[in-house]
Amino acid sequence: MEIFNSESKKIISDPLSINNPISLQVLGICSALAVTIRLDQAIIMTIAVIFVLCSSNVILSALRNFIPNRVRIVVMLSIIASLVTVVDQVLQAYLYDMSKQLSVFVGLIITNCIIMGRAEAFALKHGPSKAFLDGLGNGLGYGMIIIIVSFFRELFGAGTITLPNGGAGYELFSIPEAWYAAGYENIGLLVLSPGAFFILGLVIWTQRELFGIEEGE
Amino acid sequence: MHSNNYTLAFVFIITVLLGTILSFTKENLRELQEYNLKADMRKNILRSLDFEESENEPWSNEVVEKIFNENIQAFCVDTSGNVVDCIIEEVDTERNLEVLPVYLKVVDNKTEGIAIPVAGKGLWSTVFGYIALESDTDTVLGIQFYKHGETPGLGGEVDKAWFTNNFIGKKIRDNSGDVIGVEVLKGKVDNSKASAIHQVDGISGATVTSKGVTVFLKDDLGRYENYLNKVKADGNI
Repeated sequence: MEIFNSESKKIISDPLSINNPISLQVLGICSALAVTIRLDQAIIMTIAVIFVLCSSNVILSALRNFIPNRVRIVVMLSIIASLVTVVDQVLQAYLYDMSKQLSVFVGLIITNCIIMGRAEAFALKHGPSKAFLDGLGNGLGYGMIIIIVSFFRELFGAGTITLPNGGAGYELFSIPEAWYAAGYENIGLLVLSPGAFFILGLVIWTQRELFGIEEGE
Repeated sequence: MHSNNYTLAFVFIITVLLGTILSFTKENLRELQEYNLKADMRKNILRSLDFEESENEPWSNEVVEKIFNENIQAFCVDTSGNVVDCIIEEVDTERNLEVLPVYLKVVDNKTEGIAIPVAGKGLWSTVFGYIALESDTDTVLGIQFYKHGETPGLGGEVDKAWFTNNFIGKKIRDNSGDVIGVEVLKGKVDNSKASAIHQVDGISGATVTSKGVTVFLKDDLGRYENYLNKVKADGNI
């Protein structure tokens, strides 16, 4: 089977554009608010979500003909929960500072609607390779939005841009002291959750304008 | 439709499989995780004792171990202030109220600070930390909280610099020299009052956590009172 035929491409590109899990389906908002204070947190979270989403999609898709229908939600949940626990444990062992900052939100990937949603809507109906692409697409779609949101929140809220670096973060850029001396101020609101709503709202608006999506379509 | 037996068997196999994978993961990572935890505790002791960490070169676990071994003397005292034997890493600072760990910052044979573990109930969880005093056993050199399960954004702010920095320079002894701790207020400190030297700004939306910190600082420092008085009387440790 050819991996990159037009259908496979669509599976990957749809969640990035016209069917984005956050900005168009409005799923996974909780973590999109929580982990977007700093760019490095958003990047690590994206990697964790992509890993969980791809693995859970592939495993569930491979088992789809064996899972008894009556207990499928329980089975889905236990598999997703186990994967998330593994990610959490690995972060605690190798990226301790990052795991402290992300705190409960790694564990809360379990309840991220995107993952259960893709398992139920896609993985249980398609083969493993397509399910993998679907997981990758939706994970990237999720990551794209939280990285955009965290970029603006960190830049205008805290005045820095931090990349992941062994857990503690590497400060790539910070607004020069001279600006502050000249009267520039960080927008404190952006560091708080309401700030994430504003940025997210702007992102959703921009994206709907770009792809010409009307309400109720 | 699958039969009941099939469903039961399937769920059983999945459970055993997932359980095995999880315990295997945990077993393999346990050592690293425990090492991280220990290094993190030491890092917080160093931070409370005012060791500077540069912003873009965070301490690695190895650096923490090196600084700790070179500059810190760790031992235990009892409630009357005498040195006692202990395995300092294994003392349960929340429950063991008889054996009290002490970490001295000794630079060039001069004692510059005393770090004391503190722990107590916040709203949801036990908050763990270290408070460091200058060698006068009165002035706060620094405070760090390293482990808690408080609400992120509310009580969880206890471990943030804006909160902990307020403690620096505050006094834990009243005019007669008794240890009274530092009080976390509800709201802002009124600097015109004489009591301001024993108070710090509270965390809005986290009254219970703030009260908890006040209470356990007083209790925990109170247990060290005899030891601290000894240090004060000797002029050195």
